[in-house]
Amino acid sequence: MTSKHRKKLDARSIWIVVAAYNEAAVLSPIVSDLVRRSYRVVVVDDGSHDATGQIALSTGATVVTHPVNLGQGAALQTGINFALQQGADYIVTFDADGQHRSSDVARLIDALIDRDAAYALGSRFLGSSRGMPLGRRFLLQAAVWLTRVLTGLHLTDTHNGLRAMTREGASRISLRQNRMAHASELLEQISASGLRHVEVPVTIDYTRYSLAKGQRFSDSLAILFDLSAQKLNR
Amino acid sequence: MIAQIGFSILLAGVVVYAWTEYRRAPVISILSILVATAGFYFVWLPSHATRLATLVGIGRGVDLVIYVWLVISLILLLNLHLKLRSQAELITILMREISLANARTAEPNK
Repeated sequence: MTSKHRKKLDARSIWIVVAAYNEAAVLSPIVSDLVRRSYRVVVVDDGSHDATGQIALSTGATVVTHPVNLGQGAALQTGINFALQQGADYIVTFDADGQHRSSDVARLIDALIDRDAAYALGSRFLGSSRGMPLGRRFLLQAAVWLTRVLTGLHLTDTHNGLRAMTREGASRISLRQNRMAHASELLEQISASGLRHVEVPVTIDYTRYSLAKGQRFSDSLAILFDLSAQKLNR
Repeated sequence: MIAQIGFSILLAGVVVYAWTEYRRAPVISILSILVATAGFYFVWLPSHATRLATLVGIGRGVDLVIYVWLVISLILLLNLHLKLRSQAELITILMREISLANARTAEPNK
């Protein structure tokens, strides 16, 4: 898009949605970093038992609290709804476990503007990842293949929590999968929306903490079951 | 005859239940009605059930009827799961509205 549009772009019109469940140990530097870059941050405290909400609040984020744990998909949808209510022009989803880099947010927003897209999806396979175990790589590649079959989307990374969307794109998203299947559901909705999407290289930093919180093979079976069950239900 | 009538009443119950579920879960509903219809057929024509059972390697017709009943039970179990999911979705919507109405922002430093 034009440089005129870029000049008008204010970081305050960008809302970062962070879904967090018991992330008190790592959340503070993540939110602080985003706030320092002048982004507006909403942390959805998904029924945490620790001080996640309090820490998010003290580091400058707006906090929306689920009374009980509903799941990451539900938390992201709550955050997206909140950002839309606040008049966000761009909405970015950002994991709370420290895997993502705040510097990648600007690259995603640039991609939305420059390539006139409604969705910019982060890809660790176009960018880079540090410390990814072989088993995780295999699982992610299987998800890429499955997404291609189910949605027709040709993506290189289907389960990357770092993504940006325009206001129009975000208003087309309505996640019903509360738990881990939301990532596949979101891609289905992107495909169904007919709006333009692009992939953007990003960096993922795996840590012992993020790996412990990440998905396992058994989760992928649960995801398949959830997606199938939803197809049977109206 | 008594067993046939008893089974038929149960199967009729399944059909009525499946019919009421059609708007919410059409696939499950149609599947239930089809299997229940097969159940009716085998209950009232047990010789056909025996013939079919032999053909597919089950042995006795009555076993086939039991298997059909088992399938109906599993389908209804799946339907129950879907119903619970629908309830969970409603609870999520309700909780989301409550959460959004109570969003908190830190007071700016003075």
